[in-house]
Amino acid sequence: MNYTFELACKDTLKQPYLSTLIILTISLGIAACVITYGLIYLMSADPLPEKSDRVLHVQLDNWDPNKAAIEPNLPPEQVTWQDAVNIVAAKQAKYQAASAITWGMVTPTQKTATPFLGVMRATHGEFFSMFNAPFLFGVPWQNNLPNQAQYVTVLSKDINDRVFAGENSVGRTLSMLGSTFTVVGVLDDWHPSPKYFDMVYGAFSKPEELYIPFQIKAELSLPHGGQTNCWDTSLSDNYQSFLNSECTNFELWVEVENLTDISDFEFYLSSYVEQQKQLGRFNRPTNNKLLNIKQWLKYKNVVNKDMYAFFSLALLFLTVCLFNAATLISTKFASTRHEVALRNALGASQQAIFLQSLIQALILGILGGLTGWLLSLVGLKGIALLYPNFSTFLTLDFALIGFAMGLSILSALFSALIPIWHLSRTPIAKHLT
Amino acid sequence: MYLTRLLARLSIKHICSILLRQKYTVLILVLQIALATAVLSNGLFIALERYKTVHTSSGLDELNSFFLTSSGFTDSFNPKNSIQADLAKIRALPEVVNVVKTNSFPYSETGDEFGLTIEQDNQNPVNAASYKLDEHGLETFGLELIAGQNFTKNQVTWQSEHDKKFAAQILLTARTAVALFNTEDWQSIIGKPIFIDNNQIVTVIGIIKKLHGPWAKSEHLEHSFITPSVVTHNSSRYFIRVKPGLLEDMMNHIAHALSLHDKQRVIRKVTSLSEAKKQVFGADLAALSIVFTVMGALSLVVALGIMGASSLKVFKQTKQIGIRRALGANKFDILRHYLLENLMVTTMGILLGVFFAVTLNVLLVNHYGFSKLPIMYLVAAALVMYLLNILATLKPISNAIRITPVTATQSI
Repeated sequence: MNYTFELACKDTLKQPYLSTLIILTISLGIAACVITYGLIYLMSADPLPEKSDRVLHVQLDNWDPNKAAIEPNLPPEQVTWQDAVNIVAAKQAKYQAASAITWGMVTPTQKTATPFLGVMRATHGEFFSMFNAPFLFGVPWQNNLPNQAQYVTVLSKDINDRVFAGENSVGRTLSMLGSTFTVVGVLDDWHPSPKYFDMVYGAFSKPEELYIPFQIKAELSLPHGGQTNCWDTSLSDNYQSFLNSECTNFELWVEVENLTDISDFEFYLSSYVEQQKQLGRFNRPTNNKLLNIKQWLKYKNVVNKDMYAFFSLALLFLTVCLFNAATLISTKFASTRHEVALRNALGASQQAIFLQSLIQALILGILGGLTGWLLSLVGLKGIALLYPNFSTFLTLDFALIGFAMGLSILSALFSALIPIWHLSRTPIAKHLT
Repeated sequence: MYLTRLLARLSIKHICSILLRQKYTVLILVLQIALATAVLSNGLFIALERYKTVHTSSGLDELNSFFLTSSGFTDSFNPKNSIQADLAKIRALPEVVNVVKTNSFPYSETGDEFGLTIEQDNQNPVNAASYKLDEHGLETFGLELIAGQNFTKNQVTWQSEHDKKFAAQILLTARTAVALFNTEDWQSIIGKPIFIDNNQIVTVIGIIKKLHGPWAKSEHLEHSFITPSVVTHNSSRYFIRVKPGLLEDMMNHIAHALSLHDKQRVIRKVTSLSEAKKQVFGADLAALSIVFTVMGALSLVVALGIMGASSLKVFKQTKQIGIRRALGANKFDILRHYLLENLMVTTMGILLGVFFAVTLNVLLVNHYGFSKLPIMYLVAAALVMYLLNILATLKPISNAIRITPVTATQSI
């Protein structure tokens, strides 16, 4: 057995160009498959695996009675200020938080930090617990009563590094938006990819730099970031009329305790809409949509459909490469047929020869797989360069490495078995001529 | 009679029997060619569709334009004064073509859309993107006016960010005008009133040839309009067009000069328009590069495979060729034999490949909502395969031709 293995290794080294060509051919096919599959796998990864089926995105249909918000008859993807405030205040789920992007000047009093324009998320305190945002220091604030505004803030790690030089800044003050805020918490690095809780600026956009209580947005009349959609155009110019309007600008998410609570929450939502109808709002038929994270990602087509096409093309490409490698391995075997015949004639068993070929083919296949894996690393790096937004999640995890290795071994067997099957059908006498 | 003689001369029967004897090699070659045809036709189709989206022109001078944001942060900051001073300062630079304060621009992915109608209370408005620019807007964006005229300085209104009103004049893109008035007689449209969101009336004073909306993936990309106003925010975006070749230098220079000139604000997001475009199309560019790499690698691998297989075949058949030469076949006969054999194998591969390609396309259409593969892509893939085949067999066939009749007498 050892002898057979040694012979196989020697044979592999015997024609270095041919061996390299075989390895490269297999590796190209594998790299193409791993890269395309990797993109699909990484893009569709569950961003909150512990509870993605219990964290729900809320949509209500408050749109124009004559026209759907999104064809065919779909509700808008965000909710109005009043619905956000009402539903969060009703506390019908374990956690509930509405949020919206806004911005404003941050003017630190620290001598080392320069003023800058901060991109902020105005939200409720339960946002952090619901989405498992990791805290480096401190804790989130509590969900406030609707008309109570606390001047507190949670900072991202970047901002804490920039303003407070990375120290524990909990309890210190930060002046921004023309007021003074107390820091209650600092997040650790946090780049949910896809950024499922708000994909208005793209599914792989960066998270915001600072977090402030939802009510502060109204208190300070902060600008409406993200996407604002309106259908009722008889809107006056002041800020409060926007808050009272049917314009949607707010992402609304809730987390329920158990899966069985989802139907209760659905029931609450329809009774809420019923109650609003009595007040003259919601003039379309009730059309609430409650999607969990996975359904929401699917609804938003986070994985571009092209990716599936590329993966199927890559699989076919791999097949071509394997057929090719099989031909090349056959050529390699053919060039040693005299040697094989000689060994046969000297009494080597058919089995030993078969084993030697098998080992040689497997060595080539596995080397091809390894090279392919390295190539796919390079390829994914290249894609991250080409599309910087992808760089936060483009890393090979264990599952993906497992996929690459499994594919390599299967490919090696496939490309080796064709020539061996062919070889084993060739009578010995033919080689001896 | 002539046909039978011709067929005999072409020795098709002979080739068929040779091919049948090498079932294994031929089968692998045919499968490779078939799979490659399927990948190439579908890949070309997807790549070309993507290429069309990425390489559209927005109507702007994309290579020589950039934008920046000026954000005031002190209580005494006066946006209107700041904007006027900045614009005057930038316009005074000889390297600058023109500059405009804008609410939005193509590839910015942020902006407003409104419904336009030619009569009030129409339930099916033409949705179009709104640009609010002053009289310098046309030159800065580099737009071509095909009818009517630009705004005059007196028509430009200054408004606060909460003021949703529109000025009384409007410039429409040609596409928007056609969607509204259903005519290409531009002169007849000039002076006509239209309604914005059913409640504001404005007069068409000009038609622009082309200007995209700010959302690059919008379904009605060329629906947009310009009204003459400048909206004041604490944060203002300036869009700047410079003379060719000066972009990089001017981006730094202007950002620096503005920062020094007024310290009640910060200058941020200084970005070229081509960079913004790249951001928007990043995923498409990544996709394109994947498809092109796969197709390139595939062509190379298939060509190498064919070359290897035919070299091996010629090597194995050296003696037979020699015997045929000795029995009176000339070089041309040998050439014709191999060319014909190749043609047959490639054609079989392509026929099977068309079947594979259509199957793959049907799967993609049914599961992922792709469009149907037009037949010209199959034709293109087939041509590429024939070409690849000819290139890959040039060397082995020329080797075969050079085999001399003497070989027949030698033992190998």
